[in-house]
Amino acid sequence: MKQQLGIREYTSIAILMIGAKTTENTPSSLYSEAQSAAWMIPIISGGFFLIPLFLLLKTFSVFQGKDLFALIQRLLGKYIGFFVLLSLFIISSLAFSYDTRMYTDIIHTFYFRTTPLVVLYAIFLFVCVYGAKKGIQHIGSIAYITIWYIILSFAFALILSTKDNSIQAIYPLWGSGIQDIIKASISGTTLFADFIILTVIISNMSSTKDFTKGTWIALILNAIHISAAVFIFTCLFDRSLEGVGYPFHTAIRYFSFGNFLSNVETLFLPIWLMAGFIRFAALLYICTKIFGHIFHIKEVEYLTPTLATIYLLIGIIPETPLDVALEFKAKIRLIAGPAFLAISLLLWAVALLKGEFKHAKNKKGM
Amino acid sequence: MFEEFMMKKNLLNTLFNKTRKNPESKDKSNAAEAELKKQAISTDYEQNLATFKTLYSVPDNMDVKVREFTIRSTNQRAFIIFISSISDARVIQEDITEKLIESNIPNKGIPDLCTGPFFTTETVIEKILESINGGNTALFVDGDEQCYLFDTPNIQGRAIGKPDIEVIVKGPKESFNEKVITNISLIRKKSKNENLIVESMMIAKRSKNNVYLVYQKDLVNEELLQNVKDKLHSLDVESIVDLSILEQYIEERPRSLYPTLLYSERPDRAASFIEEGHIILLMENSPSCLVLPTTFWALIHSPEDHYLRTPYGNFIRLLRLLAIFIAMFTSSFYIAVTNFHVGMLPPDLLMAIAGTRERVPFPALFEVLMMEIAFELIREAGLRVPSPIGPTIGIVGALILGQAAVQANIISPIVIIVIALSGLSSFIISDTSMNFAIRITRFLFIFSAGLMGIYGVSALFVVGLFYLLSLKSFGTPYFAPMTPNFVSSKDIIIRHIPIKERFRPGYLKPKDMGKKGKG
Repeated sequence: MKQQLGIREYTSIAILMIGAKTTENTPSSLYSEAQSAAWMIPIISGGFFLIPLFLLLKTFSVFQGKDLFALIQRLLGKYIGFFVLLSLFIISSLAFSYDTRMYTDIIHTFYFRTTPLVVLYAIFLFVCVYGAKKGIQHIGSIAYITIWYIILSFAFALILSTKDNSIQAIYPLWGSGIQDIIKASISGTTLFADFIILTVIISNMSSTKDFTKGTWIALILNAIHISAAVFIFTCLFDRSLEGVGYPFHTAIRYFSFGNFLSNVETLFLPIWLMAGFIRFAALLYICTKIFGHIFHIKEVEYLTPTLATIYLLIGIIPETPLDVALEFKAKIRLIAGPAFLAISLLLWAVALLKGEFKHAKNKKGM
Repeated sequence: MFEEFMMKKNLLNTLFNKTRKNPESKDKSNAAEAELKKQAISTDYEQNLATFKTLYSVPDNMDVKVREFTIRSTNQRAFIIFISSISDARVIQEDITEKLIESNIPNKGIPDLCTGPFFTTETVIEKILESINGGNTALFVDGDEQCYLFDTPNIQGRAIGKPDIEVIVKGPKESFNEKVITNISLIRKKSKNENLIVESMMIAKRSKNNVYLVYQKDLVNEELLQNVKDKLHSLDVESIVDLSILEQYIEERPRSLYPTLLYSERPDRAASFIEEGHIILLMENSPSCLVLPTTFWALIHSPEDHYLRTPYGNFIRLLRLLAIFIAMFTSSFYIAVTNFHVGMLPPDLLMAIAGTRERVPFPALFEVLMMEIAFELIREAGLRVPSPIGPTIGIVGALILGQAAVQANIISPIVIIVIALSGLSSFIISDTSMNFAIRITRFLFIFSAGLMGIYGVSALFVVGLFYLLSLKSFGTPYFAPMTPNFVSSKDIIIRHIPIKERFRPGYLKPKDMGKKGKG
């Protein structure tokens, strides 16, 4: 009996994959783009993202139960489809490499100063490979089991960090100007770019409808959650948020449970790590799946360790954490969102021109 | 190079095969006997007598009894054969021999003469032997081409006792014993329903071990039932003497650290699982039952969760969940904190720990490992020790390993607290297999904490969780019905009030989902 990915499991994966972004350098890079108005960006980007996502999902609704591969194959043909998939693969691979590297950097800087980075990185990727090899159903299950604890502990961390907040820090309300907000919001769509590659796993789900529903829930929750996190971090750090590398980890170092437990970051570490492992296991699974489809490899899961090793090699190219954040990851951030948006718009436009929507309507009418 | 090696290996293998005795060849000496067993009995009295005397090696076999006599009413020669140690001599005398010898009503058949409530007739020698070996009495009459088998078993065994492992305070206190008939009657007592089926199936060829499948015909999923039967049929073994060994034959991953079948000694638990649509396996000589399929939740639940009122039941469930976490993580957390994350301790506590550790010459990891192993030793010794010298273990354990070790500066007092806490908590999980699994996992966590602190523990935890999620018990995912999600009464971490528990677990795909409105 082949198990299907249920809506709860899918939504949990989607929330973890995107929501976990607040715990790395995303809030600071948003702040550097729009200053005190940074908290609006996730919501506005979410709004921007709504249209292409809606169109993409509409396209998918015509092809019930088909995943992104089938859709691209059908609409764009063999050759263009190949290039589109290849670019998807390269972008998500690079994103995987630099994001995992950043996680390792965080672990290295905050908790394991003396352990070699590569060792930490290798352990991190080992766990992701193990998870990815177990398949998306298991990743979904583990995401669903842990999501409540992750959300609760994250909310708890945010509430605790409001203790020393000054609400004035969000003024001026429009930051450095509405223009900047709009500009930042366009590249900010990268926050939600994972939704596009998540369409790869539609074929593992029981229905496209579940996928659509889960996507909307996750999108709304994530937009609110990222926005809230950026808001609270802005109030906590004010202008220095721009210079703080990893606001979440700095924040959990900052606050304490009363007078007794002053350093509680180690209590949040396991839960944050769990979220990270699950997030990257899912991403690695998707990357492997795209790779297998591009090069027609059956039983591609045996390639997961190999791919992960390559990602590790790419990930250790940047020499310092600063390089990762400001150069490598920043570039991906700039490209990924718009590129993925373009792909989804392209798919919809081709479907429209080919008359697929009319076909579907006729079919239904008959 | 490699080919050469392979060639040598092949050569060696053939040599070994030549010298090794063919396991089948041993049976050949018995071939004549095996052939004989397949035949039907003869009508000749003397021949039958001789056959069965040789088969049972009478008179060498002291408890196999043969009694020859003449049936008075028909004036035929007859003999009965039975194994006295497992059959009821009084029943044999009153219902068979007495009636046949004394009754003088002419021209009556055997069925009309004997008063035993139940008998069958059989002609094949093999079947007759099987029946006699089960404690029945066989009657052979001169000139009759069939043999009469009377139900006279009286197998000795323990009376129904209290459960030893799954101890509860409130609720029924019967447990299974080694007689399968008693066990079945205990289940039937709790589920008086004509749909309750007890199906017997032979699984081992030599010792003829039977396994009994107990299920509700109108609930159980046919596919699951077939699956279980196929699995049992596919076993090709000489002998399976106990249910706990059968468990290892039929589980999907015999090497896995975590159990995938529930082994229970409580008939009330068995009955409630049957009512949900599970299948129960019973075996002669096993004071327990196996529940298939089993989920993680069934393994950590206790029947008392339901016998207690809802708030109390949930309280002990949460307590048990906490105990699992304490048992698994206290030691590793201590190691991680003292070795890697010193900063997270409040300064006063840190000073206290450092003060007690000051004179201990070992690293924390070694210290904890030493103490954990000592605790496991005490526990195992306590189990095996003959009861008259039992209290000695307590004194030795508590005094020498606790007090003295601290005073000798081998162990710091805080480690004793840590070990005692985790050891104590591990007792709360009543399922033996789960208990072992958690105790062994604790050691894995200790090593990972010693290696990588909290990071190592988290990594191992996620890997372990992935592993657990991929476990299956007869097609049922380990964490069902939580994830993947199935319709159920949501009896997972906490349970609802009984009136709200309206559904049978969906992962079993029972024929009737609803629990209400059915007798």
